[in-house]
Amino acid sequence: MKAVAGTAKYLTLVVASIVTLLPLGLILFGSFKTNQEFLSTNPFQPPADWFNVDNYVLAFTRGGMALAFVNTALIFVAAIAGTILIGAATAYALDRFRFRGRSVVLALFLLATLVPGVTTQVATFQIINGLGLYGSRWALILLFMGTDIVSIYIFVQFMRSIPRSLDEAAMIEGAGHLRIFFQIILPNLKPAIATVVIIKGIGIYNEFFLPYLYLNDPDKLPISTALFAFKGPYGSQWEAICACVVITIVPILVLFLFLQRYIYNGFTQGATK
Amino acid sequence: MTSAPTGLGPVIAAASEPDVARPTRVPGGAGRRSAWYRRLTPYLFLLVPVGLLLLLTYTPVVTMFWYSVTDWDGLDKTKNVIGLDNYVDVFTDPDNLRVFFVSLYYVVGSFVQMALALYFATILSFKVRFRNLWKGILFFPYLINGVAIGLIFLNFLKPGGGLDTVLMNTGLESLIHQWTGDPDIANYSLAAVSVWRYTGLTFVMFLGAIQSISSDIYEAAALDGANRWHEFWSIILPSIRPIVGLAFILGISGSLSVFEIPFVMTNGANGTETFVIRTVWMAFQRNTVGLASAMAVVLLAFVLLVTWLQRRLVPEEEVDLT
Amino acid sequence: MFPHHRRPRSLALAAAGTVLALTAACSSGGGSDDSSANADGTPSGKISVLTWRTDLVEDGTFDTYVAEFKKKYPEVTDVKVEGVKDYEGTVKTRMNTDDYGDVLAIPGSVTPDQLPDFFEPLGDQAEMEKEYRWLNDKSFEGKSYGIPVVGNVQGILYNKRVWEEAGITEFPTTPQEFLDDLQTIKDKGVAKVAPLYTNYKDSWALSQWDGWRGAVTADPDALNKMTQTDTPWTADSDYGVIDGTIYDAVARKLTEADPTTTDWEGSKRMIGVGEIATMALGSWAIPQMMAAGEAAGADPADIAYMPVPVQVDGKFHTVAGGDYNLGINVHSKNKATARAWIDWFNHDSGYSESQVGLSPLVDGPVPAALEDFMSSVELLTMNAAPAGKESLFADIDTASGIVTTDPKYRLQIIDDARSGSRTKEQIFDDLNGKWAEGRADVDS
Repeated sequence: MKAVAGTAKYLTLVVASIVTLLPLGLILFGSFKTNQEFLSTNPFQPPADWFNVDNYVLAFTRGGMALAFVNTALIFVAAIAGTILIGAATAYALDRFRFRGRSVVLALFLLATLVPGVTTQVATFQIINGLGLYGSRWALILLFMGTDIVSIYIFVQFMRSIPRSLDEAAMIEGAGHLRIFFQIILPNLKPAIATVVIIKGIGIYNEFFLPYLYLNDPDKLPISTALFAFKGPYGSQWEAICACVVITIVPILVLFLFLQRYIYNGFTQGATK
Repeated sequence: MTSAPTGLGPVIAAASEPDVARPTRVPGGAGRRSAWYRRLTPYLFLLVPVGLLLLLTYTPVVTMFWYSVTDWDGLDKTKNVIGLDNYVDVFTDPDNLRVFFVSLYYVVGSFVQMALALYFATILSFKVRFRNLWKGILFFPYLINGVAIGLIFLNFLKPGGGLDTVLMNTGLESLIHQWTGDPDIANYSLAAVSVWRYTGLTFVMFLGAIQSISSDIYEAAALDGANRWHEFWSIILPSIRPIVGLAFILGISGSLSVFEIPFVMTNGANGTETFVIRTVWMAFQRNTVGLASAMAVVLLAFVLLVTWLQRRLVPEEEVDLT
Repeated sequence: MFPHHRRPRSLALAAAGTVLALTAACSSGGGSDDSSANADGTPSGKISVLTWRTDLVEDGTFDTYVAEFKKKYPEVTDVKVEGVKDYEGTVKTRMNTDDYGDVLAIPGSVTPDQLPDFFEPLGDQAEMEKEYRWLNDKSFEGKSYGIPVVGNVQGILYNKRVWEEAGITEFPTTPQEFLDDLQTIKDKGVAKVAPLYTNYKDSWALSQWDGWRGAVTADPDALNKMTQTDTPWTADSDYGVIDGTIYDAVARKLTEADPTTTDWEGSKRMIGVGEIATMALGSWAIPQMMAAGEAAGADPADIAYMPVPVQVDGKFHTVAGGDYNLGINVHSKNKATARAWIDWFNHDSGYSESQVGLSPLVDGPVPAALEDFMSSVELLTMNAAPAGKESLFADIDTASGIVTTDPKYRLQIIDDARSGSRTKEQIFDDLNGKWAEGRADVDS
């Protein structure tokens, strides 16, 4: 009985792994095939030449994938810096000060978690357009850092674990609040920052809807929209699309292999806090 | 820009009052000047965050309500108030109602996803060989971007693609369908892709919660002679109930905001149109911002209702996953 | 300590400053910023051009155009060409802002009364008609807002070899005969993929069937008359024949098996080599299909063009009209250069010849590839709407909720035909009912 249960356990794990990996594997196979080969061979047949990188070359030269990585990085850096500053500042103010209106602000943030961003997109579009930010990377940066209530929550939660005695000691030495914020609070928030960088970083890297709606200049497109745009003129060259897909997955795979533990922790903490 | 949207005001004020934020150089920070400055400090720290919160979360909610009772096309300078006509449209046009119906496929998908996640989280919380490998494989799809996933599955599900080949070689030809082409199946296929994508996240959340259960509890149960099945029902499930509740809410709101997978795979055609695809199309291509806003208001009301119900009515034993 | 302390604060200020800079940016917007033509109107600076021809952007054709344009106008520093995937939908979305390039093809869903809000008038229609053809479409109250890049004739693109292999050598003269011919092709199994390909997934291709309007009834006033009837969908009306043929072809399974996985780029090759027998597309598609077929080793001469399968008084008819019209963004900062691009594109680029189109110039030549087709049909040019009623059709169309410029209702017809959930008659009744409602709304 026990042996059966043990076998069943491994069987389900193997089946789940196959279901997960099979579609990815076929994309990898496809990406090394030639156009003729892709059309004429069975998807499970490995490519004739594993060193046929023509499709990858095409993805980089005509698909502008390199530029897309740069664009994603630009947006990522600016949005993440903004998110950290905003989240930490909010947490600092809410946790370390008692002031009139504090409960109102808390309630505002709490209430905001109930509003799914997607419902308000039509109205948000009018605001971004009103600000003259349509077509600009700033639109995305502003939206990424301004609507991320979850990150703010992670900071607020974490702030409680930083002992007040630290700020008080600094205060006695004559430090102002900004100095306390930047020299005491921010460094001590490092674990929260790591969590936010991971969750948000992956979110930004994978985001499609916002850049699709707000960006149009082909030179500004981040990864996901560049991949989508590539499908237009190369819609019939599936082997090239496969290569493009692989290109977008590889960086995140490498990151995952190296930072596994932090990524898991990030998501479990992000979810529970 | 002719009028500053509400919420921008305080942000501009922050920039124009830099002097206020300059810390006094007086050691100890005492003195009259620092007294009012101290009182102001939390507000200064909150200016930008609250400003952005008001600008990007609350203003859209308010304007959305306003748009929803007008016939605004998104372009005209004037908006005519037309009362509840848009809401009547939302509830009488079958095409509008259908998007809510389509999300049910994804809601069901999210239950499947939670069941799978719970199963794998439970077995992987016990002793298993290659645990990290299984965990990594199950989680990884969540890290892939939605467009790539859409393309991966277009390739996998197309006629003669990976899935058809598998079925053919295992003697299951009779199961071959047009996975996105058959209107009776398309939504199941898309919801299944969604399950493929998100199970990993739910799984890791559950696993983290299960692993944080104190080992004392297991030991106590072991003394009582509980088997694995009992352990699951009497220890694991009750302990992770809050996370299950969270996954439920995430599943509902996620099901209502599905976009990338149907957009990339079918472009919303063949009866697979989702809320986001339809409202974007309504607002920007049909230029019926008023109607799109009414749709959004209905959706928002619905999400709030579900959240409220979940917190009120499904508190304890009712978290049933089957 | 001290420097540490200053740096972070400047960061905070920078964050606030950013928001300020953002607000300052509101005053700008529109096309290209640091660019305006010289005071005397000589083209200079930079412009951005939106095009639906992503393939020509990819293969470098547009790079050549830009180089030649800059050679003619040396003061022009940059022409940024943006190939836009899903052109209609994407550009329509961008038109909710001021930022939709300097020169762009006017999306088909822009109604005539909207033209002045979005586009710069290019001149008086009467004056411009001395030089250009097919201006009606994009003119409003006597002004023209767009010039067609190329002229098309409308009909059916087919692979001649495949049709001949199926034993069909005569043009079908009725929709019924057309469907039967497709059936013959299917029965003989000569077209591996489909006798008729809808390109359902790239839904814009379904709008191409609109090219049949007018040709069916041989009536240049077909659209204007539609505003006068409550039942435009009947067995022999223009829309009735178009949508009815689509419905029947799909219901009889003469189209591709799985429409949700169609692929426009791939369809070019498939018709080129004869895996697809037929597609309803404007004549603009001919060179693209020929090229794709040739690249795949087929004879480009297999691609041919046939008229709409309806005869009036024993003759076929075809509607000649403009392809996409180039217009200038009303918010453009560099209208002089934008105008120069349009004129250069029409006169000097060689685009219309390369696309086997009819030249938009009044005295332009007829391309060789179309000479045979042209000799077997009567050419029609659709009449403009009567003065004061330019936007009537669009108004009814919008009020009815059908919006014929949006292929969505046609996708629904295909869905219904596949599932059998509605009969053709039910669909027509529904469309007629909506149209009648739209008319009533507009009248009131």
